[in-house]
Amino acid sequence: MADTDEAAAHLPASQDSAPQIETDLSDETQDFRFLNNLAFPSDSSQTSLPRRGEKDFEPNPTLYQADILDASRQAMHNALSHPRLHHPKHRVIAFYAPDGPAPPTNVTEEKDEKETTTNEDDEQNPKKATNADAGTGIGVPADSCVYVPNPKGQYFKSMGRADRWNRVWLLPEEALYLIERGSLDIRWPVSVTGPTAEEGEKDLGIPMSLQAAYACFTGRGGLSVERFSVYTGLRRLGYTVIRAPGWDDESDEVQDEESAPQQGLGIFGRFLHWLHSWNSSTGVTTTGPVVGLGIHRSYNDIYRKLAVIPYHDPVTPQFPRRKTTAPFRVVFHVYKPSTAFRKSAPPTPDFRIAVVNSRTQTTMPTLSQLGTLLESTPLDPPRGEKMDRMLYMRLRHGYRNVILAVVDQGVVSFLRVGDAAFGKEKIYAEKPPGPKKGGNRPRPKK
Amino acid sequence: MATDPALPIPISYISGSYYLFSIDAVTYLRREHHICGVLIGTLPQIPQQNVFLAMPLQLMPEEARLLVDKGVACIVDEIKAHKDGMTSIMEEDRKRYLRDLEAEGLQAMRLQNRRKEQLREEALKNIDAKKAAKASKKAAQKQAVADNAAGDDPALELFAGGEQAQDAGPQRPTPSETAMAVTPATSYPPMPSRPASDQILPSPEVPSSYPLFAHLHSKGYFLSPGLRFGCQYLAYPGDPLRFHSHFLVVSAEWDEEINLMDIIAGGRLGTGVKKGFLVGGAEQTGPGAEDSVRTFSVEWAGM
Repeated sequence: MADTDEAAAHLPASQDSAPQIETDLSDETQDFRFLNNLAFPSDSSQTSLPRRGEKDFEPNPTLYQADILDASRQAMHNALSHPRLHHPKHRVIAFYAPDGPAPPTNVTEEKDEKETTTNEDDEQNPKKATNADAGTGIGVPADSCVYVPNPKGQYFKSMGRADRWNRVWLLPEEALYLIERGSLDIRWPVSVTGPTAEEGEKDLGIPMSLQAAYACFTGRGGLSVERFSVYTGLRRLGYTVIRAPGWDDESDEVQDEESAPQQGLGIFGRFLHWLHSWNSSTGVTTTGPVVGLGIHRSYNDIYRKLAVIPYHDPVTPQFPRRKTTAPFRVVFHVYKPSTAFRKSAPPTPDFRIAVVNSRTQTTMPTLSQLGTLLESTPLDPPRGEKMDRMLYMRLRHGYRNVILAVVDQGVVSFLRVGDAAFGKEKIYAEKPPGPKKGGNRPRPKK
Repeated sequence: MATDPALPIPISYISGSYYLFSIDAVTYLRREHHICGVLIGTLPQIPQQNVFLAMPLQLMPEEARLLVDKGVACIVDEIKAHKDGMTSIMEEDRKRYLRDLEAEGLQAMRLQNRRKEQLREEALKNIDAKKAAKASKKAAQKQAVADNAAGDDPALELFAGGEQAQDAGPQRPTPSETAMAVTPATSYPPMPSRPASDQILPSPEVPSSYPLFAHLHSKGYFLSPGLRFGCQYLAYPGDPLRFHSHFLVVSAEWDEEINLMDIIAGGRLGTGVKKGFLVGGAEQTGPGAEDSVRTFSVEWAGM
């Protein structure tokens, strides 16, 4: 919206708070020189993001312009060449487990891979028998591939899953996100690289580079780079993001539909429903006028009889349930930063997100794809005093909703799709709004 | 300043996408070949925002193809390279690599301590300058703040001193001599810097819009993915760091029937955002024809 209006960039006066909200700075390449203002947040009050910089219309051969461009590129280079450092005090070490979750091996490291695996098997068989957890055997998701022996810091509140040896196992996207932001020091397992330490020292292995992390983690366990872009983008903004049941191609999200429709209908809805069914049973429309013969005393009755076109009611459950197909299926559950989140018992998500790659899926989803996707989400009818009052907000909110994250080569756009129920809004049954401002009490004309 | 990387630059191919992990390659390709890509990584200095992103740089298949066709880059199967490379590092190389990393970490730690000291000295100077009791009290607070800031995020401190990195000599003794751990951006070293020939992949597959992409690029435009404006590419007259885009680019086949509605929609959208709507495609003139791409720009005429 506002980002489309480039004139705004040349009008400093219009850069007040209001347009700032609509302008998404991340929508455009920003001049990295503004990062210098950001890089010294010694004054904590000055942590706001920079405003849009002034850009030039087109290149000209002036030295002045070339100098600015050079400065911008230099700032970008400096910012991006900054290494990811771990202060000894805050350092969190993790280990890559290429073969997925496994119980800890002996402290003394094996010399080569073959030995390691055979050793592990010998040791673990009794343990596995005692362990009741299905899948991985140690109670963590099978896609996990990085473990943190000594988890500390805030990140593990919403990430990872601990096994019974108190190690936290991270999913590929979690590990990649943390290594990328410089919060995790991931090490190659010694079984892959060979020993690195002198005799008697604790062998930590070789640190994993960002490049190696991408090579090892993207493409692993269903993590496409599109999904990762969505995950990391939302994490950066402070949202808590976890995998939804629809992540894997086989399983589908199962929603508890028992209680939801009852709440959704409400007394008013049920009354309408009853009225409607009562009415349709008496109306005779095959012959004669649509509204029927006889004396009509109420406009509402006439309107009701005129409603001959059936409409989609999102409240009525569809049976049998259709299966969603990739990419139109919910793969992420997202929680606002304000939502209290416990990773052992995640609450109802604030948003459900399906990730679409615009290069492979070039068309709009079909009605059946979209319908199935919406059906896989729980009923979320418009509720609250404001919604009851405002028709437009009700329509916009819809009865079910889902967010499509469309990714084009690293650029992400979010679209919200709501199942709006126009048929359920009886305009004729609404009280006519007040003469001008639509106050709560309709007043007679002044 | 950046050092120019050795050619051809290896482009990492990882499960369907193309990446660059070396900042020198990114800077070089941007400056010399007008290839910008899209930064998709988190900036470790300021991780909780989406405005300034960092390495890696994701390249469109078109960009990767263009660079390969120019002979500037080659495509490396990074998964295979890592699988082969990490298991075959010699023990001496491993140890040398770890020593190098430790040296780097030590350097970073010294730099950080030096900056801390500088901040402290500045704070002390402030105290000296303001003799009044009230003023000196304030300065002490400031010092405390500065110390906190320095301790909280070592990354920022180093970033601030990025340009002084060279003259941070090892001769300065510092209170704590423990090295910071470093997560390097690339895996070369410890892996050999030139990929083996069996790790090189063929030229990337590109969509049918590639001729138009290459044409506009050859005319000096900087191109980026066009999703935000509902087109295929955005064409910038100069580096997007400093210029707004001029065209919304959509490619079409030469004899393709274009829906009039699409022209209207594109034209209106383009004019609404002060850009031109550009349709183009390659004429089927047979092989050998040099540049057979034609482009048309649609604007909303204010009659």
